[in-house]
Amino acid sequence: MPIVFKVNGEYRVSLMPPMTPLVDVLREEFSLTGAKTVCREGFCGSCTVIVNGRPAVSCLMPVGQVQDKEVLTVESLEVDGVLSALQQSMEEHDAVQCGMCFPGMMMSLTAFLERAPNPSRADVKAALSGNICRCTGYERIVDAVLSAALPRQA
Amino acid sequence: MPPPGEASFYRAHGVADALSALHERGERGEAIAGGTWVMRAPLRGIPQDRAYVSIADIEELRQVSLSETEVVIGAGVSHSQLAHALASNPPCHGLAYAAGHSANPAIRNVATVGGNLCAAGFAAADLLPALMSLGAQVDLEGRAGADRISLERFVEIRDTLQPGHLICKIIVPLDRRSAQRSAHVRLPLRRAGDYPVAIVSVAVSLSPGGVVEHACVVVGSVEPIPRRWPAMEAALTGRLLDSKLAIASAEAAADEFVGRDGVEAPGWYRVKVLPTLMGRVIEQLTRQ
Repeated sequence: MPIVFKVNGEYRVSLMPPMTPLVDVLREEFSLTGAKTVCREGFCGSCTVIVNGRPAVSCLMPVGQVQDKEVLTVESLEVDGVLSALQQSMEEHDAVQCGMCFPGMMMSLTAFLERAPNPSRADVKAALSGNICRCTGYERIVDAVLSAALPRQA
Repeated sequence: MPPPGEASFYRAHGVADALSALHERGERGEAIAGGTWVMRAPLRGIPQDRAYVSIADIEELRQVSLSETEVVIGAGVSHSQLAHALASNPPCHGLAYAAGHSANPAIRNVATVGGNLCAAGFAAADLLPALMSLGAQVDLEGRAGADRISLERFVEIRDTLQPGHLICKIIVPLDRRSAQRSAHVRLPLRRAGDYPVAIVSVAVSLSPGGVVEHACVVVGSVEPIPRRWPAMEAALTGRLLDSKLAIASAEAAADEFVGRDGVEAPGWYRVKVLPTLMGRVIEQLTRQ
């Protein structure tokens, strides 16, 4: 049975079986390859997307569960060639290395900043606790998040 | 019904619809909500070939209500929703902490209370010991009606339940006549996003002078199923909260546990850390 849901603002129809992990539908059926499949156990966070405003690991979400819901992937953040404030800040802080974990980090942090516009350093670290990076430390990433939050506080 | 070896998926529109669908699907029926446990079935060597009945969008299962006498938690409430709802409820501090610190934020947003209680193979579940320590009960519904049983009883029978049953509510009783406090201490090997190797959940009722009138101590993740620790309950009752005394009592009584070996920790280590965790949980209760 077709599964209808919104992806990055557009209604999409999946013909995959309902127990198919959402990340496979996004990557293989819709060619949205931003969300990455790494651990497939919900530990690494590289497949994180936003479902109805909340970060969720798309490797453990059956596509049947997102019927009528709204999914945002990392591809939604840049609009008309303009990066989001968080993306710009990551670039300015030179926080990105291999990029495998980053789409998931961006989605966790984008949803986090929506709910916590004035975060502490500890808040940011807690929000990132489900996103594992094996290239680098997290300090520049946290710096970039706090820097991106500053204009919101102004 | 799916052919053998093939999964099916039905989205239930209400509790009665879900119960009916589960009944029709018999032994092959299985409720799915957040899906974080079911989706990992293949990693545990279990085929994902059941007749799944989704209860994720049933609104009445997604409510938390608080009154003077009880907290009623819908089985479809997520961990993050529960942590938020109980953030300023001192008797349920331990449960709020458990809900707000298990797994990681993205899992907590979708994994449900009911799923945590029904995941029989998940020894490191946080909510189960926290709810047990609070004397929680569950409303178990079937087509013939509802039964309210203790959570401890539910854990005993959850593997042998007849098809067509569903946990709908979890009820935490509150006693306003005495000061209730609770705390939940977990020890993951990494600070973030890891399974705890051991858990201690404690709920106490205190007299006006601070003497423990009633204590419930539950140990999770050490053995395959969480269970109460009667020796520690006896050691705490009738005394003021004292972490040093608790540690000494726990050292004397810890050998009644047989730790489970796992990839993250050997069984002996899980038992060895219990006195330290017992001390920490009493310190937390003292500070509340």
